[in-house]
Amino acid sequence: MTSRLPWHSRFDLLGVTFLLFLAGALGSIPGIEGAGRELDHWGNLSRFASQFFPPDLSILDRTLDGLVETLRIAMVSTFWAIFISLFLSLGAARNVSPPWILWPTRMVLNVIRTIPSLLWALLAVVIVGSNSLAGVIALTFYSVGYLAKFFSEAFESADLQAQQALRSLGATPLQAFRHGLWPNARPVIWSHCLWMLEYNFRSASIIGYVGAGGIGLHLKLYAESADSWNKFSLVLLCILVIVTILDFTGEKIRQSLRNKLEGKAD
Amino acid sequence: MTATTIQLQASGIGLQMDKRWLWRELDLCVSEPCFIAVTGSSGAGKTSLLRCLSGQLSPSEGIIKRGPDTTAMIHQDLQLTNGATCLMNALGGCLGRHSFLSTLLSFPTAERSAAKTLLGQFGLSGKESQWASTLSRGERQRLAICRALLARPSILLADEPVASLDSQWGERVLKFLKETIVQAGGFLICSLHDESQVNRFADQRLHLDSNLPNGWSLQSMGGEVQI
Repeated sequence: MTSRLPWHSRFDLLGVTFLLFLAGALGSIPGIEGAGRELDHWGNLSRFASQFFPPDLSILDRTLDGLVETLRIAMVSTFWAIFISLFLSLGAARNVSPPWILWPTRMVLNVIRTIPSLLWALLAVVIVGSNSLAGVIALTFYSVGYLAKFFSEAFESADLQAQQALRSLGATPLQAFRHGLWPNARPVIWSHCLWMLEYNFRSASIIGYVGAGGIGLHLKLYAESADSWNKFSLVLLCILVIVTILDFTGEKIRQSLRNKLEGKAD
Repeated sequence: MTATTIQLQASGIGLQMDKRWLWRELDLCVSEPCFIAVTGSSGAGKTSLLRCLSGQLSPSEGIIKRGPDTTAMIHQDLQLTNGATCLMNALGGCLGRHSFLSTLLSFPTAERSAAKTLLGQFGLSGKESQWASTLSRGERQRLAICRALLARPSILLADEPVASLDSQWGERVLKFLKETIVQAGGFLICSLHDESQVNRFADQRLHLDSNLPNGWSLQSMGGEVQI
């Protein structure tokens, strides 16, 4: 005799949330409105895009200087964010901290994440003026919100058995964390750091729009002068090259670390 | 370390899991240095017994008294730190003898050289800087044994410590464990499946019956390999 499963057993968490998402997305389509006028969309696009070419190479030196400054902002802010996040993530990891530290720390991180990078940049410009230090401050705060969350998740998902084994061999909780948990979480944490560096480079290219240093200021100047879209395109092209290099290198390193931790050959 | 100060005494212990008794009214008193082999079919509760004896699990009934000496356990699932090197994994055994600060970045030179010697004896020389995750199962098993030995335990509980080793390495490891632990006046309690290894090395055999919780038996073996 075969027993029939109840009708609702087909709907697991994945199925239900996907259906909710699908209903929300389809239901939102009628609410999205255009200009309400008949416009030559493709003509507009092709006329605008044609102004991007050919990129103006005469500003290459100036652009490279801007890129170097952007890279500096991204590296320094990522460095400080890693440093701060390591401490905060311990407070936000369920398997490391007691609830009275856990929830306040998570609340602080939620608040930090709620503020977008451009707003952090505006705040920093108001405090320290329009310079690259504002960019570093803005991106440091912004990155901490994400990195501390990622790090705490790395601690929570790391294999805990080694830590327990070391405790049973007489190690103190701190020693067991240092030699049992930290080495297992470290590759994942470094992967997140590399991702954050890429992300911060992209962000550092934008926050210059509000005066927080970097190549964003160049983008703003060229976008505001109507006949400079070919200069604008050169800046975009340079950003694309750097982002691609960072992305490719980061992915290679991440893959290698993953393989090593899982005991696979490179 | 002397035999008189070491004690492990289990009185009338029993363990119930999922409403099933694995073993009951089990008595075990070890006062003379010896090698006790724990045998029984899969599911008889060998691992649970070793975990109870090591203090990682509380028995459902009865009392276990342990002396003040160091107890170490080699787990069946090894429980190594995959993202740490072989050497750092082995050195994990000596953490109990040192403070947090003295082991934060490195280990004392004497401990490092002791660990390197031990790794060499277990066929792992040249792999000190390799991550544990990149070792074979047999190498990982030998590494877990090195880590437990570096704790210099008086009571070593080993859960199938040679299950992943070939017969040659299995014999070598059991001989080494017996020499190192029992000769120094300690106790080696080891779950084993291989009858020939039980006959060769065990001084006593504790057999668990998977069908009968009270059907356990303890018998003297007088293992062929004497220390």
